[in-house]
Amino acid sequence: MAEAIVMAAPRIRPRLGRDEWLMGGGLLVLALYLAVTLLVPLVIMLAKSLEDSEGAFVGLANFAQYFSNPALSSAIGNSVWVSALATLIVIVLAFGYAYALTRSCIPFKGFFRLVAMAPLLAPSLLSAIALIYLFGNQGALKGWLFGESIYGPVGIVMGSVFWTFPHALIILITALSSADARLYEASESLGATRWRTFITVTLPGARYGLISATFVVFTLVITDFGVPKVIGGQFNMLATDIYKQVVGQQNFQMGAVVSLILLLPAVLAFFVERWAQTRQGSAVSSRAVHYQAKPRPVRDWALLGLVSLAALLILGILGMAAFASLAKLWPYNLSLTLSHYDFSNADGGSWASYGNSIRLALYTAIFGSLIVFAGAYLVEKSRVVKPLRTATHLLALIPMAVPGMVLGLAYIFFFNAPGNPLNFLYGSMTILVLATIAHFYTVSHLTALTALKQLDPEFESVSASLKTPFYRTFWRVTTPMCLPAILDIGIYFFINAMTTVSAVVFLYSPDTTLASVAVLNMDDAGDTAPAAAMAMLIVITAGAVRLLHTGLSHWLHRRTQAWRGGKRT
Amino acid sequence: MTTPYLRVRNLTKHFGDFTALDDVSIDIHQGEFVCFLGPSGCGKTTLLRAISGLDIQTHGTVEQNGRDISALPPAKRDFGIVFQSYALFQNLTVARNIAYGLENRKQPKAMIRQRVQELLELIGLPDSGHKYPSQLSGGQQQRVALARALAISPGLLLLDEPLSALDAKVRVYLRDEIKALQRRLGITTIMITHDQEEAISMADRIVVMRNGKIEQIGTPLEIYHQPASLFVAEFIGAMNLLPATLVRQGEIQLGQTRLACKMDGFATGASVHAAVRPEDVVCTGRTNGHANSFQAEVQDMEFMGPFFWLSLSGGELGDHRLRAQVSSQRARELDLRPRDSMHLHIPAEQIRLFPNGYPHG
Repeated sequence: MAEAIVMAAPRIRPRLGRDEWLMGGGLLVLALYLAVTLLVPLVIMLAKSLEDSEGAFVGLANFAQYFSNPALSSAIGNSVWVSALATLIVIVLAFGYAYALTRSCIPFKGFFRLVAMAPLLAPSLLSAIALIYLFGNQGALKGWLFGESIYGPVGIVMGSVFWTFPHALIILITALSSADARLYEASESLGATRWRTFITVTLPGARYGLISATFVVFTLVITDFGVPKVIGGQFNMLATDIYKQVVGQQNFQMGAVVSLILLLPAVLAFFVERWAQTRQGSAVSSRAVHYQAKPRPVRDWALLGLVSLAALLILGILGMAAFASLAKLWPYNLSLTLSHYDFSNADGGSWASYGNSIRLALYTAIFGSLIVFAGAYLVEKSRVVKPLRTATHLLALIPMAVPGMVLGLAYIFFFNAPGNPLNFLYGSMTILVLATIAHFYTVSHLTALTALKQLDPEFESVSASLKTPFYRTFWRVTTPMCLPAILDIGIYFFINAMTTVSAVVFLYSPDTTLASVAVLNMDDAGDTAPAAAMAMLIVITAGAVRLLHTGLSHWLHRRTQAWRGGKRT
Repeated sequence: MTTPYLRVRNLTKHFGDFTALDDVSIDIHQGEFVCFLGPSGCGKTTLLRAISGLDIQTHGTVEQNGRDISALPPAKRDFGIVFQSYALFQNLTVARNIAYGLENRKQPKAMIRQRVQELLELIGLPDSGHKYPSQLSGGQQQRVALARALAISPGLLLLDEPLSALDAKVRVYLRDEIKALQRRLGITTIMITHDQEEAISMADRIVVMRNGKIEQIGTPLEIYHQPASLFVAEFIGAMNLLPATLVRQGEIQLGQTRLACKMDGFATGASVHAAVRPEDVVCTGRTNGHANSFQAEVQDMEFMGPFFWLSLSGGELGDHRLRAQVSSQRARELDLRPRDSMHLHIPAEQIRLFPNGYPHG
């Protein structure tokens, strides 16, 4: 035994240089940051659901109470069927739209694409407000509903379809763009009909995209707060119930219970989405030949009709909101005025809220892209402490599975706790920035990872062999090469910070009211026209920033053309 | 002999349960060009990454120039490295790429510029300093990567399959160029490759690896002519492996013929593999007039330009199949045709015996 110990060569313990210490330290800071702004609040919220209002442990008593009260638990069924219906409509529409954009020869594809993406610039509330103007008690097209009321499931489904449409479309366009032309040629040469080709080649090729889009849309609808809040009337859904429990009744424990229930579909969707993503990636071989659609008049005209109709509906909703914000006194005096943009007489919002939203969006975009990109770099490229890298990566994926309402409530529990040294952040702009970065972390993180994975994996090795500190290479090579992706992350943060309601609705203070929340509050107070005006301000701002981003990207691309060579990505 | 420049002792690397390197020891001398050669997964890359510190070994030591560097991070070691993918910084010009390691050393700008120009001339691209890597061909990019690695005058140059991404023609050209450059600079160099031709033509010594272990270390001539194992014999160059029986010391039974061979210390009566290079099978003609020869039938002839591949069996060879390489000129002299019956001679010292058993088993 003693001899064996003498014989065994000592295990080499790698010594750490400055690079390794800095990278490891950076990872640790990032992991702590994500723990504090994400994991710990969520865990505390889980614990709260098992406590009574005094903080004593009561086991599952809150859950028992929830399920025994039909007024509460009926929200589960409501949420599920409304979300399922909205999802079905969105997927069918978006599939047709995506098919037209990728597999047909319709004209004006660029225009149709642009129109379809427009809802991304608006808070989800906007569609609900526009629908009220169209189909509400004084609505222009009220008769079209055959006596059905817009306030309730009908309005929720319609509003949800509007704002989730581009989310489904992006996924389905990606899924349909990666077709292998060889399969179509094979199918055609074997004498298959077009319908059979569609069923046996097109649909299977896009199935992971369809699964992914279905779950993404379902989650977006079921966790959305804006649309049901504005147009839901007495129809209770999970997301609005959390708000009612917390803000209306100050019943934080019950809010935590509903949050947990809302977490379930989101977590399920998260795993299905991850699974579908990995499958989608491996389904297309690298030797695939790009599919090019040939003109076929009947199909193209039919698709053009569908796409035009969808585009018209989107523009109609946006146009209605714009008109609502300008009409003097709907529906009695339709002369145009900018007076609703004054806000001084409106209850619940002001230009200061708009200023706060701009600040929030800027801070989130700047600090968010810095943290996300540096973090993704450390996760992907650092050579040290593998377990910490894996843990950090997993932490970064959590936000995708956490609805904004749940995150906001978790923040209340954590930051508002009297003993928390971070308590001073409560009610500040900082906490809004932290919540918004955490809320939209995952997609940004994955975007950054994708960009980093495209770089040569040996840059860091070369840099070390040249005795150059990693941060120098990060600054001089990695960052310039990933600048387009960093800009994408920045704009993603900016627009989402402008439009989001769900997490921040629990966290704003009188000093930090936000434009998106102001839309909600003004609408609540009956000031619908100023609410529409504020929503339009958000759309205009987000649109302008999006334009700026496009311009910047083009400029950047031209400037870097010299070294990107033919390899345009 | 002087102390080796690089001493690798008992290197072992585990990835979980998998042993990628198993007790590997090598000495590499100042100015030597050594190739690590082996099939993928043999551990050659792992060994290189351990020597560079990019993936430090589990056990064992590495000494460079008398200094124990076993546990040091790459930045604390003294080496330059070139990768298969070039790993050039695409957003920097060729000159900035080459200057990259120098700029960190706070040298005066003029000195850096001069050194970069020197290196550009060294790699034969004196006017390409202002270009971006994407504007160069693959071979040119790899030369820039080489210049970048050499810029800081490292004591050790590591080449990780530097030619594998290039076209066949460029590969042969760059092979000679790298070798000439290495000789001129006298820099100790390790190259890993899975291409045996590359290793044979470039290396002073070759380290053949398999399953995380070293199979043989030797000069290209030693590796080729005196393979230490059946694996090396089969892996390097073309080789006939014929099952035979040792009828007495220095003589084997092969089909119906008996051939003299090298004494290799097998017991009489042992089943062995007789290893013969195709170019060592000599076609003597239609009549017998040679010792250590036998008669067989030409089954197939494959014209390769300067030579033919002959596929031989039947006659005294029986069911055994033997491949022979016969120069086109010799084939013309003999007027060789398929189905011809030929006499073939193999010099006794060119028949090596290995224990029976499949080399990859």
